Amino acid sequence: MVANSKESETVTGASAVTGLPQKRFYRQRAHSNPIADHSFNYPARPEDVDWRSLYPSMGDDQQVQFADIGCGYGGFLVTLGEMFPEKLAIGMEIRVKVSDYVIDRIAALRLKNANEKTTYQNIACIRTNAMKYLPNYFQKSQLEKMFFLYPDPHFKRAKHKWRIINQALLSEYAYVLRKGGLVYTMTDVEDLHTWIVSHMTQHPLFERLSDEEANADPITPKLYQSSEEGAKVVRNKGEHFLAIFRRI
Amino acid sequence: MTTIFYTEPELVLGHGREVLFLNPNDLQIFKNIEVPADLTTCGLKIEATDEGEPKATCGSNLEVSILNVCYSPDRQLIALTTVGQKALLLYKSRPEHAMLLSVRALSRASSALAFAADSSSVLVTDKTGDCYQYDCVEVEAPPKLLLGHLSIVYDLVWTPDLKHIITCDRDDKIRVTNYPATHDIHSYCLGHKEFVSGLALLPGNDDLLISISGDKTLRLWKYLTGKEVLQQQLPAPAVRLQMRELIESKRYLLAVLFYDHVEAIGLYELELKKDAWSIAKESLVRAEAGSWNITNFALTSDRIYVAGAVNERLTLRVYNSADGKEAESVPEGWLDMVMENFAEQRCVPEDLSVWFKKRYDNISEYMERKKRRIEDQQQNQK
Repeated sequence: MVANSKESETVTGASAVTGLPQKRFYRQRAHSNPIADHSFNYPARPEDVDWRSLYPSMGDDQQVQFADIGCGYGGFLVTLGEMFPEKLAIGMEIRVKVSDYVIDRIAALRLKNANEKTTYQNIACIRTNAMKYLPNYFQKSQLEKMFFLYPDPHFKRAKHKWRIINQALLSEYAYVLRKGGLVYTMTDVEDLHTWIVSHMTQHPLFERLSDEEANADPITPKLYQSSEEGAKVVRNKGEHFLAIFRRI
Repeated sequence: MTTIFYTEPELVLGHGREVLFLNPNDLQIFKNIEVPADLTTCGLKIEATDEGEPKATCGSNLEVSILNVCYSPDRQLIALTTVGQKALLLYKSRPEHAMLLSVRALSRASSALAFAADSSSVLVTDKTGDCYQYDCVEVEAPPKLLLGHLSIVYDLVWTPDLKHIITCDRDDKIRVTNYPATHDIHSYCLGHKEFVSGLALLPGNDDLLISISGDKTLRLWKYLTGKEVLQQQLPAPAVRLQMRELIESKRYLLAVLFYDHVEAIGLYELELKKDAWSIAKESLVRAEAGSWNITNFALTSDRIYVAGAVNERLTLRVYNSADGKEAESVPEGWLDMVMENFAEQRCVPEDLSVWFKKRYDNISEYMERKKRRIEDQQQNQK
């Protein structure tokens, strides 16, 4: 039903040098209306998701535990795959070309590293609207970590309800996250950071990790480096704002 | 929108600015409510925006008209919502005449309305999927936002034990939210493949929920676990649901209004036999579908009251639930009396086609271009 992977094919249209897809063919504007109807094929229920089509070598008792919401070009998703070989991570991206790039990129990485130690069999990407369809993919308490990295800031006040962190949606995130699970948020927009922190801390099912705890998390340094947006911000010597929250 | 429902012994019909509380067997009108043409005259405070200008939506020239009407379970209160000037009006229903208690502004047009079992508060959902709670003891108290969907909420029920609020939306979802801890979602009942338009709890079977959908199914759920117990195929997309208990805790009549179908209403008898639920009997009521725009309906013990529009006028027709034929037992002159009361008000049915998702294809073109690019590249390499 949600078959996206193209394991059997060779990766065509890839760079002759690296064997990886070239980003210039997958450029797309940064914004997407998350409220509108898009032509998504989404599963009616989590039981209907064909995870094996996304992770062909997954174990029978394995399920997705990490979700990168709005994974963009997938830079951080790839890092997650390398850091946690035992965990299945899913990237969710709403934009057609961008999600297609990540899907092709993962296919290429799998092909290229088939005989290596890291085979990228544990990461996958689907094009979906995570604001609407999370409960269609995940059972209650299924997820261990969720990532919201450089989300669309939707500066205009009328569009604040489009923000991926908003009061109503936090209850959905709390539903798919297990108790003790973590939400990672990162942005280079200070206003958005303030918004995120205020909404998350107001929600009775989330508490913010202390700076000490956040800095001790092995994922923290990677958040600054591995996302493409993050790398761009680093290059531009911009500031970024990290906040991690625990599901109570 | 036309609201019609039956609560023994009253048939309640709300339309335009008028609500009638009718005796179905007599030319007697128990009581009526007429909503003022300008709600600011009865206490609506139109909020000023930051700039000090009145909100355009509140001051619009649209005529005030009633959207939803609801009786409190103890029958002491009546809540109704309006558009034109968006408000929640709360009335004390007894003694005799409805007395207006409060008028509170709504930020958006309501989509559904439900009282708590203890009649202490009322829930209002709106077009954007938000669900607000309005206190009915402190009748002027500002609302509390309880939960939010990402699309319009078409129906909601609140369990008699007050522990769960169940809402359904245009994105195929039924959500079961804990109360009062509404930040904690208890479960989802998932499986529908189009909008979910109606919900009903079964009295005496407190763990069960009925839902109807644009996907042409009626489903029975154990809502606390989200497990589907029964699925009934319908001949057309379903837009409204009514339920009546026939035999205590054992047999229920489920009546469904269809979208654009030659037989307007389906009647399904849900029965518990040897610990298993099944549809024991089904029949269809034509209700002259196609010749008029049916908008809503209500069930009494032996009749189906169907409301709709003929030439932009509210029209009511009555059928026997036993055989689907026009009911001849309705007192002479009763229908004329009812319709006369609404003769001044226009009746333009809501366009329900917008409930269905518009599927627009934003992938094929990109995929086609990509295919061509890859083919070109392969050509060049040869």
